[in-house]
Amino acid sequence: MTSVDGRRAAPGAGPEVLVAAAAAGDQGAWDELVRRYAPLVRSVIRVHAMEPADAADVNQTVWLRLVEHLDRLRDPGALATWLATTTRRECYRQLRIGRRTQPFDPYDDSPIAAALVPDPDTPDEQVMRAERRQALREALAQLPPRCRELLAMLLGDPPASYRQISERLGMPVGSVGPTQARCLRRLRESPALAALLVGPAPCEAGRR
Amino acid sequence: MEVMRVWPPADDDALLAELGTALREAEQVSPAYLTAARGAFAWRTVDADLAIAELMFDSACDPEPAGLTRSGGDGPTRALAFRRGPVTLEIEVTGAGIVGQLSPATGGRVTARTAEGVFDEAVVGPVGFFSLAAPPPGPVRIDAHTAEYDLATSWVVLA
Repeated sequence: MTSVDGRRAAPGAGPEVLVAAAAAGDQGAWDELVRRYAPLVRSVIRVHAMEPADAADVNQTVWLRLVEHLDRLRDPGALATWLATTTRRECYRQLRIGRRTQPFDPYDDSPIAAALVPDPDTPDEQVMRAERRQALREALAQLPPRCRELLAMLLGDPPASYRQISERLGMPVGSVGPTQARCLRRLRESPALAALLVGPAPCEAGRR
Repeated sequence: MEVMRVWPPADDDALLAELGTALREAEQVSPAYLTAARGAFAWRTVDADLAIAELMFDSACDPEPAGLTRSGGDGPTRALAFRRGPVTLEIEVTGAGIVGQLSPATGGRVTARTAEGVFDEAVVGPVGFFSLAAPPPGPVRIDAHTAEYDLATSWVVLA
């Protein structure tokens, strides 16, 4: 947690460490922020059915906003919430501008209609779940290396067997199950999962 | 209701499945998104000496404040207002271009850019008025340089 060099920042370094380093000009820290949070921004964009060009504009706008706010974030530790809120607001703005958005028939077979129809949950719920997935990725990154490796093997395609895990990690087969349970418990109790907040209303322009 | 359920799930298989979804999602970001996100950092040094004027109002998504007047004319008009301390930069965007008002008015110059570069520049008139070309697609920023202050607006998609 002491390094300000993102290329060497510990996998569990909090966003506040990376934000401070990026604000000081560390491109490596910025690249790590992008690597870590781009999936969240993308997921929130996908909640809103948009033409690809509009979606790409929102993505670029959000990251430009983060650059200009690097030294002015009220709570850099809550970067995920800031990004989710900013992305939602910009999606809403983009949809209101309606530049490239065409009226659509929900029963046609375009990708937009397909993306819209099956999910009965509100955008609020979908954004909340995107934030939760982000928190899970961060919680995983903060686990000890052995836990990360074990869980990654279980989640492989195809998933590794207990025997394969036992061989790779050099532990008795009988220990794999209990270790998995212990790692998942640590994941569940991670501070990264605590205090997940849903952002404010979507189009509160500029105010934080 | 799904979202009211306890989270994170107490069941190991459910938690593992959700973690799997989260990790797969992280691999699906398109290279173009990543390139644009990484490239945004180049603006850090460009911005260093410019105070950011925050977007305070956008008629595209905020309720109209009372008393706002519109110049009308070239089809639908979008009005935006940015503020930094005592300085405000207001613009109206139509298909024909951008007209704006900088106040307090002290003359000076405005530069309009996309992330790819400058698309127009203009002199600010003695009463703070300026006009710029119609914005290209994508996020846009307007920089104002005057004898008394320098600022840049927040990035925002105008067209």
